[in-house]
Amino acid sequence: MQVTKPVAELCTLLVDELHGELPSRIFSTLVNKGRSTLPQLAQYTSMTPRQLRHGLAVLVQHNLLYHHLDPGAEFAFYEANVEHAYNLVRTGKILEMVDTSFGPAAKDVMQSLLLSGQTRIGDLLAAYQAKIEQANKKVGTNDTEEFDGEANGVNDDSKNEPVVKSTAHLNSILCRLIEAELIDVVHDKTFESPADVLKIVEKEVMDKYFPNGVKGNKAKAEFQQRIAEGLRKVRDESKSLKRKLEQNGSAAKRRKLFSGLGVATNGSGAQQDEEMDPALDPKQVIRVNYEKCLVDLRNRRLVQFATDMFGETTAYVYGILLKLLTKDIPRCRLDPVLDSVDDDDDDDSKKKGPGVVTTDQILDNLKTSVDLSLGIGKAERHQISSRAANKVQTHPPKKKRLIAEAEVDGEASEDEKEDDESSEGSDYDSNYEETKPNGASGINGANGVTHERRMDRPTQLRQHLMLLAESTQNFVRHCGPNEWTVDFEPVMKALREAELDSVIERTSGRQGLRLVRILRAKGKLDEKALPNVALMRKSELQQKMLEMQTAGFVHVQEVPRDVKADVKKSFFLWYCDVEKSLSRLLETSYVTMLHCLQVLEALRRKEKDVLQTTKRTDVRGREKDAMRKEYYERYARFLACERKLFAQVMRLDDLVSVLRDF
Amino acid sequence: MATENAADDSAKLQILKDALYEEIRQHGSETRLFTQKDLLDLNIIPNNNVMLLVKVVQGLCNDKLLVGTTNHHAGLAWRWRSREEAKKYLSLPNDETMMVYSIIDEAGADGIWNRTIKNKLNMHESVVKNCIKYLESKGYITAMKNVEHPNKKMYIKASLRPSERATGGPWFTEGELDTAFIQELEGIVFEYIKTKSAYRGSQPQPASAPKRGAIVGELRGTKRAAADITNDDSTAAPSSRNSKSFRTVFLPMPAGYKHYPTVAEIAKFIHDTGITNNTTLGEADIQQLVDVLHYDGLIEPVRVNRRKGYRVTRAMRQDTVPFHKRQKDREAGIGLDQPLVVGAEPLSNALTEAPCGRCPVFDLCEEGGPVSPSNCVYFTKWLDLEDVATAAAPVASLPP
Ligand code: SF4
Repeated sequence: MQVTKPVAELCTLLVDELHGELPSRIFSTLVNKGRSTLPQLAQYTSMTPRQLRHGLAVLVQHNLLYHHLDPGAEFAFYEANVEHAYNLVRTGKILEMVDTSFGPAAKDVMQSLLLSGQTRIGDLLAAYQAKIEQANKKVGTNDTEEFDGEANGVNDDSKNEPVVKSTAHLNSILCRLIEAELIDVVHDKTFESPADVLKIVEKEVMDKYFPNGVKGNKAKAEFQQRIAEGLRKVRDESKSLKRKLEQNGSAAKRRKLFSGLGVATNGSGAQQDEEMDPALDPKQVIRVNYEKCLVDLRNRRLVQFATDMFGETTAYVYGILLKLLTKDIPRCRLDPVLDSVDDDDDDDSKKKGPGVVTTDQILDNLKTSVDLSLGIGKAERHQISSRAANKVQTHPPKKKRLIAEAEVDGEASEDEKEDDESSEGSDYDSNYEETKPNGASGINGANGVTHERRMDRPTQLRQHLMLLAESTQNFVRHCGPNEWTVDFEPVMKALREAELDSVIERTSGRQGLRLVRILRAKGKLDEKALPNVALMRKSELQQKMLEMQTAGFVHVQEVPRDVKADVKKSFFLWYCDVEKSLSRLLETSYVTMLHCLQVLEALRRKEKDVLQTTKRTDVRGREKDAMRKEYYERYARFLACERKLFAQVMRLDDLVSVLRDF
Repeated sequence: MATENAADDSAKLQILKDALYEEIRQHGSETRLFTQKDLLDLNIIPNNNVMLLVKVVQGLCNDKLLVGTTNHHAGLAWRWRSREEAKKYLSLPNDETMMVYSIIDEAGADGIWNRTIKNKLNMHESVVKNCIKYLESKGYITAMKNVEHPNKKMYIKASLRPSERATGGPWFTEGELDTAFIQELEGIVFEYIKTKSAYRGSQPQPASAPKRGAIVGELRGTKRAAADITNDDSTAAPSSRNSKSFRTVFLPMPAGYKHYPTVAEIAKFIHDTGITNNTTLGEADIQQLVDVLHYDGLIEPVRVNRRKGYRVTRAMRQDTVPFHKRQKDREAGIGLDQPLVVGAEPLSNALTEAPCGRCPVFDLCEEGGPVSPSNCVYFTKWLDLEDVATAAAPVASLPP
């Protein structure tokens, strides 16, 4: 992640928003000044050591800092963890995601964890114990425990019954979240910055295997490999709890857990489950694993994308496919070195990409209430080429695909037609045309026998999957008979382009989009050639191009006609560099997020008197009655603005995620 | 006797002229060049008498039925001209007019610039002007526009249609890109592709669109709990069987659908509707139009086996009311609040919604600068705080 000025400011504001001014000031200093020691910080910020230590503690608690102590050195270095600071903005989204996939109880736990930062399991248990007891005693508000009051905040108002029923329940939830890798373990290297970790590992490898230095190509290769191994080991340390759980829990139990995809097991049936979960070591410190959270958030974004392109039902199927597929994917963007050979992986299919999911697996995980007949049009059987629909692509698409097939527009040639017919006509009785299901089904048996209009469920499911596979966005690849996979790179590229396109279309209109896409398809194009392709008037076109050049959507190159380089005679070649436009878009998004937060700050300043009133203990909680009408209205209005601004910031993060992280 | 002989000769000559002319016409179009040998080989002139041939050809040239040219391959050669045209030539009052007319004639369907006429003929401008005036009044030539040189005054023979190069093809009307026509046609083509490439069916009404991003819970102190920010785009399962209300939507066709319309089919459809009766649109023209729709993101090419057809993108989001119906409605004053464009509404994201995404001073805006978020008028508007701002501080747009 590139830390530009808006990013730095944005992160500082986010830290301020969630953890207060003191930590935010330290954070900002660290971002601006780079690695610093305590005395240096004291000098930069002119804070007292006490204040500093307090601020640093908060930052460390929430993983917003790296620190590094060189052996023998007096002071540790502190460094801002900008990634994690940015992740603060995703808090709401992550909670929401946990809520839908694991239920409200898991959300509650996650919320506690997000609020308190890294936490010892024992502390978490104690906190919940206290809360549960309090609830059982039916005492009114529970403001006593530190994060209790806030953690349970959302549910507080409606009912007092805690969502987490017992510590065993909590333990079970934690187990599940750990197994899903949404929570991982904090270990001694968690706080080292990636650069420091690399250095440490390098040194270890040097000392252990190459005491005499690395000489020769072979040794160099081995050196690199050992480092990769070492780094992997460090990374795996945070998964220690998960591994332990996997060793402990019986296979059947685990299967049960995963089959419950999306369904929270906090009902009565969950009771026995809880007992089967091993008690977690209370001394372990855990935290939220954003990397894995992002994988799930990416799934959701892709489902949204599929909804936009096709419809809810197809997108739902896609969501299930993604969920199954990404179960064991630890992060969105795989590290080419680190993730090349995962030796502790239990099966080998994962080595090159996300693996595959079969139609049956998906079928097993679909909600029975979902009607798969929806969302796809009907066509007579003879209108469908099952050969084309069932096409299997064993390999991911190449970066630049050669045009393999000759460009033949219009009707398929005679021999092809025959091909089609023979591949699907054999078990097909033309009398059924009226009532026959319209499948492009590869599973033939069922269709031939029944006269039912409706296709059987597996066939319906396949229809959705094939639709996704046929899409120009490369949602899904049909990688083997009844096997499906997703090539994330191309589909994300399509999504990024779609985001860019919608910005272009919304700001420069449909004609603007048209021009950009022409350039994308044709490469560089002379200004004179454009009007003819775009069917636009020259003058309008020129104006549009200039407008879009300013916006960074298109770029121009001047090519002089001769050595004199007379501008009047030069050619002007327009082109569009998608990467350039995208990074500009990302930067714009950061700035816009920053502006939203700054507007909010300004609003707070303006409404200071009102906000001050709401802080009074006699007003808190019953603002409506305690405040003067005019004041209350201003307060309500402020809240509405705040809500709108926060919502906007989070929607902007959707865009940032797509552009940067997914 | 002598006169009789002469009359006899001229009668004979006339017969030969007619015979030669008719024979020439049998052997090719008006553009074909005939050399002397070609003409002799027609076997009209007895005994291959060159002298006689020259005489006959001369006569035909005088009648303007043959036009002599020097061709650098074959040397001197002739081509024929129709009798009506010849009559026109003969009716012209003087040589200048005739020369002007012939140069315009030669320019053919591309037309010719009046300056070029003047320069080529080396005539005085006023003379050329007069000639042109005369020819125009007779209806022999007309002024035309050339899209490549919109400011030049060009002339063309009245009987000819300006060439594609001059008119810019079917998309131009009188030298101007006919955007209204193009739009109309785009609408029709899009509508056709839409209905042919998607299935019109009914689906249960989806649950009301999920609201995105809202803060749940009351504020506690200045710093609200992180958790209060939630983003509520649920991935709840889509509508189930028991949903009651239905709506008509377009649905994507199953994979492998073989009947997505091809350009040839679209062209045929356009031809059959007769919308373009005074313009002929070839497949290439339709392809151009289809490409534009593709670039607009409204349709996409799909290749099923080797057939390349087009289908509408985002079928479910398409308007089920035909475009032309919407247009009619508008004329009747219905639906004026919605923009009239073909295709689904473009996708949007946070950037297009926030004021900054469309802000004209974005690059200048910075906290501490002359324009800054804290004095931003666009945000004030966006947050519906306008009235408050003006009431509280009259100069809200200036920094405090
Ligand atoms: S002036 Fe307002 S809308 Fe424009 S960039 Fe600044 S904050 Fe955004």
